[in-house]
Amino acid sequence: MTDKPIVRVSHVSRYFKRGSERVNVLNELDLEVPEGQFLALMGPSGSGKTTLLNLIAGLDTPSEGEIWVGDRCVSTMTEAQLARWRNEHVGFVFQFYHLLPVLSAFENVELPLLLLPLSAKKRREQVMTALELVGLHDRNSHLPSQLSGGQQQRVGIARAIVTDPTLIVADEPTGDLDAKSAHEILDLLGILQRSLNKTILMVTHDIRAARRADRIQHLDKGRLVDQPDEALYEAG
Amino acid sequence: MKFFMLIFKNLRRNLLRSLLTSAGVMVLVFVITLIWSILGFLDIATSEKTSNFKGIVTEKWSIPSQMPFAYASTLENGAAREDTDEKPIDSMTWQFFIGSTEKGKMGFNSFLFAFCMEPKKLLTMMDELDSLQPGPRAELDKAIKEMEKNRQGILVGQKRLAALEKKVGDRIKIFGTNYRDLELECEIVGTFPLGRYDNNSCINRDYLNASLDAYKASKGKPHPLANKTMNLVWVKVPNKDTFTKVSGQIDNSPMFTSPPVKIETASSGVSNFLAAYKDLLTILRWVLAPSIIATLAVVISNAISINVRERRKEMAILKVIGFQPNQIVFLVLGEAILLGVVAGSISSIGTYFFVNRVLGGIPFPIAFFSSFPVLDGALWWGAAIGFATSFAGSILPALSTRSIKVVDVFSKVA
Repeated sequence: MTDKPIVRVSHVSRYFKRGSERVNVLNELDLEVPEGQFLALMGPSGSGKTTLLNLIAGLDTPSEGEIWVGDRCVSTMTEAQLARWRNEHVGFVFQFYHLLPVLSAFENVELPLLLLPLSAKKRREQVMTALELVGLHDRNSHLPSQLSGGQQQRVGIARAIVTDPTLIVADEPTGDLDAKSAHEILDLLGILQRSLNKTILMVTHDIRAARRADRIQHLDKGRLVDQPDEALYEAG
Repeated sequence: MKFFMLIFKNLRRNLLRSLLTSAGVMVLVFVITLIWSILGFLDIATSEKTSNFKGIVTEKWSIPSQMPFAYASTLENGAAREDTDEKPIDSMTWQFFIGSTEKGKMGFNSFLFAFCMEPKKLLTMMDELDSLQPGPRAELDKAIKEMEKNRQGILVGQKRLAALEKKVGDRIKIFGTNYRDLELECEIVGTFPLGRYDNNSCINRDYLNASLDAYKASKGKPHPLANKTMNLVWVKVPNKDTFTKVSGQIDNSPMFTSPPVKIETASSGVSNFLAAYKDLLTILRWVLAPSIIATLAVVISNAISINVRERRKEMAILKVIGFQPNQIVFLVLGEAILLGVVAGSISSIGTYFFVNRVLGGIPFPIAFFSSFPVLDGALWWGAAIGFATSFAGSILPALSTRSIKVVDVFSKVA
């Protein structure tokens, strides 16, 4: 891990219009995440943590402020530029895995690579490497319905890392798993961070999951709040 | 190509829906193929050729045309009188004999319609028989030789033969209905190849003419139709210029005064025969066929719309991992087009082989056509119809995927 920030969120606000009413989700938020850090975002429902994750990952654009990831200002990119950037620089891990049910584990992991100018052989190599990293290389031909929840999430993680992204964003990655599987997934994220120096942003409600991160940030009413771990644990 | 497997596998997602949609496409393409084949065939029959032009000579002012057989030899020469006059390269006379195999009765199983003509002209002047494959041509040639040897020989179309419950080698007696009191005793020497002439028959014209002579000898007076026995004369000329000259020769000939005759192109002649079916053909061409195509587009649109609605979340995931909106539009269009093209091709190619090889044509008696072949174009019609209708039917649902916002989708599932 280095001190150089890979993510810089500067004076970011995000609000929505509901009729004539303005709903502020994020208010003047500033955040820096050093390269290789594992950051957990916690907070009550509606605190804005998923919105912040969406903004950093280029799924949404801020109403005010700037977001930089590496040397790119993602808040000013067009939709097409964002799609290309996400494909190359961001890996996503979802709470409900979101694998395509008609594709095998191999094909699900291969999906992001289809958008890159790679040969079939090269794609195969990268997919098998990713599946080996998550310990599922022997299940590459299985459909999602033939895998357990924990295994499906590991396929989801393989899909997230297959393009060797700068940033991995995980939205409640253990929210749909039993305790044992959740533990394995968090171990895996930890290994990716330490051995591959991946920067990981994880939204979670689970203090035990958050404690696996290098740093925990708590959001409340659209602002970052300094709070000790114990208080968070009790809140959670 | 990288996306092909994804498109293909998505079609298997709801196999029942894909199969039902494919079945709908196949049925509608089948109907369109039949309609277009009939219309296309009639278009060919009524369009002017640029070479090997055929002309039809008929009585000028009377329908049905009934000319004296004495006109035959002059008309077959194009009424050429001078050495510089043009002559047809081939010709054929037609005398129609309509009768029944049961005296005083006319039913489906006894009716018989025959062209009385020179047997050898079957292979040179009759549409479709002049372009047979070597196998069927050899069989027909054998039957023709038999008819020339035995002038009481008759060729019967295969469906008519089955309806009469007869077989090759049987003898039949035909009681004339247009030639009243004339009975022909014929021996079935062969059949027409399956197709256009399934319900027709062919008798050697010499036998009809000899029977009319025999009638006169036995009754002491000529048959009432004896001098009105020739219905049509076909002439084949190499090009339009020759046709114009031959037409002028016939129009200006002093030989054809009682009754006067006229010559028109075969296409024009066929068009006149089809005039009675004009409304039916107009409805087929401009109402039924477009309605079926529109229905096809709606069927596909419905299936793809349901598909897109069910998979909005999945499409959002694709956007999240980097798929551009246009790539997702392409995937949706690809699914519809793959389904449409494959189902359409199977249907039209299957129709082509089944109707032409097994049924021997589309049974649709109209004018003097008893059945129609499925045209060669059908081999690509299904793919083209499938492509066009699936594109038209799926473009709006596909474009609707552009409006899927990933943030909205996640806020619903998180």
